[in-house]
Amino acid sequence: MSLDIPRNTAAPAPSRRSFLHENPSVLWFMGLLGVFTVAVTVLSEGFGLGLISTNLVKVLGMTLCLCLIAIAMDVVWGYCGILSLGHFAFFGLGGYAIGMWLMYARTEIVIRDSLGRGTIPPTELEVSEAVAAQIFGVVGSSELPLIWTFAGSLPFQLAMVVLVPGVLALVFGWLAFRSRVTGVYLSILTQAMTLALSLYLFQNDTGLRGNNGLSGLQNIPGFLHVPQSVLSVWFFWASAFMLGAGYLLFAWVVSGKFGSVIRAIRDNEARVRFLGYNVEGYKLFVFTVTAVISGIAGALYYPQAGIINPAEIAPIASIYLAVWVAIGGRGRLYGAVIGAAFVSLLSSWLTGGGAPNIDLGFYRIVWTDWWLVLLGLGFVAVTLFFPKGIGGLFDYLVRKKP
Amino acid sequence: MTTLLEVSGVSVTFDGFRAINNLSIAIGEPELRAVIGPNGAGKTTFMDIVTGKTRPDEGKVLWGERSVDLLKYSESQIAKMGIGRKFQKPTVFEDQSVRDNLAMALKNKRGPFSVLMWQASAQDEARIVELAEEVGLSERLEDSAGILSHGQKQWLEIGMLLAQDPRLLLVDEPAAGMTPGEREHTTDLLKRAARTRAVMVIEHDMEFIRRLDCRVTCLHEGSVLAEGSLDHVTRNQQVIDVYLGR
Repeated sequence: MSLDIPRNTAAPAPSRRSFLHENPSVLWFMGLLGVFTVAVTVLSEGFGLGLISTNLVKVLGMTLCLCLIAIAMDVVWGYCGILSLGHFAFFGLGGYAIGMWLMYARTEIVIRDSLGRGTIPPTELEVSEAVAAQIFGVVGSSELPLIWTFAGSLPFQLAMVVLVPGVLALVFGWLAFRSRVTGVYLSILTQAMTLALSLYLFQNDTGLRGNNGLSGLQNIPGFLHVPQSVLSVWFFWASAFMLGAGYLLFAWVVSGKFGSVIRAIRDNEARVRFLGYNVEGYKLFVFTVTAVISGIAGALYYPQAGIINPAEIAPIASIYLAVWVAIGGRGRLYGAVIGAAFVSLLSSWLTGGGAPNIDLGFYRIVWTDWWLVLLGLGFVAVTLFFPKGIGGLFDYLVRKKP
Repeated sequence: MTTLLEVSGVSVTFDGFRAINNLSIAIGEPELRAVIGPNGAGKTTFMDIVTGKTRPDEGKVLWGERSVDLLKYSESQIAKMGIGRKFQKPTVFEDQSVRDNLAMALKNKRGPFSVLMWQASAQDEARIVELAEEVGLSERLEDSAGILSHGQKQWLEIGMLLAQDPRLLLVDEPAAGMTPGEREHTTDLLKRAARTRAVMVIEHDMEFIRRLDCRVTCLHEGSVLAEGSLDHVTRNQQVIDVYLGR
């Protein structure tokens, strides 16, 4: 520091620079996401050279959805300090909400088609009953449960994608934060929430087909003639767009004073209260907004996965989410994206038979068995030796600047 | 001078230990008041009660012209009414810049939605610069608070307190860990603040209190032992026995 040069202490405030100017990582991220999207499109079977299989396009699209829930997790945990181990519940609920429409509308089309071949046109009641029998036969029922009343309406189910996770997060968060449950107790509580929800959905009489879940979600009503190779790219685009939009939204939320306040809550919430901020209100806001984004991510994920069942929202899924964010680097959005993409792609490569097993002579390393051990070791190593995660490596690049 | 805060007949017990015992104390506006007393006299607990951190078993805490009962409100609501607090251990947000720390404390709307939309106005920026100047941190505005010296952190916290523009400042051991020069600066800051507001300072350093040149309240075992000018209090035999003499 130069001591002799007097600094102009009464200088006017530094000119208000634009949001993007102050957050160059956002531009970088958008650029890379754009390039990636174009590259996948050009190489896809549906739109281009066919070097990337439809299946891989789906995996990549699903990975983008996982990145979206990972940045939501990063905001709630890395920025606001709430270690939620239940955010996959919101992801799953978003998936169920859109899955109900996909399944109902497609079944309805098929039923109308087959009933319409008769001489007398079917009544609405007949159609509805046939649809119910078709969907719920598997759990020994032929009645349409109450929650499926509006399943044929796409706008309604889209609203549910946002409302169900949002309202659940709002009610759960209000109860938990109001009682000032924090730290590990809150984590256990969120874990219990997702476990309870998962166990509930496993039952056959909950109206969501028990452990069968909802299936055939890759077929989009109205576009049944469109081949999967094309549909997969459409969903890939939608996932990339939502990830970009979510990234922009969260980058804006965590920059500026709001970000300042939630990071302060993470570091010392009692002090923030004495500054006059209603800490519980902020936590509830962050918890609910991230839950809604998680729901949207799930609604894009499951049509690409094709099936959703209660095992998807078992506690382990939410724990994985925390592991991704920790490995990628908490408290920076691109860290969460890197962590989710890296770990989930590595996981599908190693467990999907892509990686060759290693024969040590005396022992054969089968990756499907050893992947979890590798992940566990990786998590411990990152926590102990690289608390900033993979994203922390970028600090070395940036630090060179004067 | 009108009474701003009136604490009357307050008692609080922690696991059978009476930390505050039928305490009654009042402060006017503007006024500078020093609170002394041996360890465990209940000085910090008193501040906890006023700021809503601790609920007393009995008694009343009345605030302002309309005698609002503070015991019904949460910490953040009390802070918004105009009571600011500085902790014994400097607590600033270390991984954020001095500017961000001050901006967070500025007297603006506190709701999540208004904060989300907040843009520093020219007035806010000017106020931040002014506050930084007042606490001697003009050149450190962009530095992260974590790299400040202990004394500078104390000042930043006082700056944040002033940014809240409170009517009552509760300051817990502001001079702890400061060099003599820094102490003098702190005394000036507090005296200046007390021209327009009520300021209550907990301190052990008698020299520091002498320089504050104000009314002194001595607490002992959770209630007021003596109150008056510094000379009056220091001549009190009981005060000498329990506090000064040791």
